[in-house]
Amino acid sequence: MEKIRIEIDYTKCGESGKVDPRDCCKCLRACDPAVFIMHETLGVEQDPIDPQLWRITPVWNSLCTKCMKCVEVCPEKAIRVWW
Amino acid sequence: MCNWCTKHGAGKKWYMNARNYSNELANEMRAKEYLTEQWTNFEQVYIRKIMGISSVDLGYKLKLPIIGKVLRWQAERMIHSEAMKRNPKRADGHFGQVIPLEEAKIILGNLAAEPIIENYCMCRWMQRGVKERCCINFGVLSTVIEKLPRFIPENNTARISRDEAMKRIEQHNRKGYVASVWFQPVPYINAICSCENPECGGMRLRSDFGLHTVYKAEYVMQVADEECDGCALCVAKCQYGAIRYIPSMRRVIIDPKKCWGCGVCRHMCRHEALKLVPREEVAVVRGMY
Repeated sequence: MEKIRIEIDYTKCGESGKVDPRDCCKCLRACDPAVFIMHETLGVEQDPIDPQLWRITPVWNSLCTKCMKCVEVCPEKAIRVWW
Repeated sequence: MCNWCTKHGAGKKWYMNARNYSNELANEMRAKEYLTEQWTNFEQVYIRKIMGISSVDLGYKLKLPIIGKVLRWQAERMIHSEAMKRNPKRADGHFGQVIPLEEAKIILGNLAAEPIIENYCMCRWMQRGVKERCCINFGVLSTVIEKLPRFIPENNTARISRDEAMKRIEQHNRKGYVASVWFQPVPYINAICSCENPECGGMRLRSDFGLHTVYKAEYVMQVADEECDGCALCVAKCQYGAIRYIPSMRRVIIDPKKCWGCGVCRHMCRHEALKLVPREEVAVVRGMY
């Protein structure tokens, strides 16, 4: 059973504060099977506005088609896909 | 829908039972506390670890021998939980069913508890970063969501009348969105969504991983061969790939096993060739919700 690994470098997107994932969303929209989920980090209890509290996590990896569109579209080159 | 109608339908379909919409039931179940907790933490649902396991790479985890089987059993138990001690952060007891436009209108026009609001769809927000105002909620859930600014359109006009709600659901349906009604938590009903596949969190879990977060409608679509002129416009509207155009026959065919019975394809047909029939009357999909 093949495991597809997708990794996002959070020093480039999200928590570092460099890019707010909520403004970018390019990987979310480029991905045909919608593998990524955008969410606030765990433990946030009120309605979060702080960009450092948001990140994108690849959740549905098994549906990835290995098209590499997310890698190409990411302005920060923060995504790595391998298997 | 088999056992949910038997349990909560009072002799009808579960979503046609007025009691499931009532404020009394909401109070009885302490729905306000549950919904506040659930919606404050909504986007975290797939990331949160439940008994040490999150939904991250769920497809891989479900295929693991033994662990995968236990995980599937546990997930189904959570989704349909009727226990008093349910965990709102993982949306225990939150599941729904696809309904055709006619039934969505009956619910919004008569059964749904006031106030009715239309807020941003959080599934599309999580999956695509798109804020689209197409999620219709009612009853206690409305008052909960109104306090969470990220779901409310900027001009703060979330509340809508029954007539507006019926008009809006028709617009969404014609656009190609599938209407669905939700227990949240079972048996309290407080939402009608306009979903698409795979952006909808429920449909994703059902169509890609076979978990019963959404049930197929009480109907399936059938095509009257002699009425179909083979324009194939309906093919483009199907979210489930159930309709195919057959060039040699110059008409479309529908795979009842793939059809969810949402009725959205009908909006494209100029000849009324597409008709919904009750699922129970179609032998091959009887009982397959």
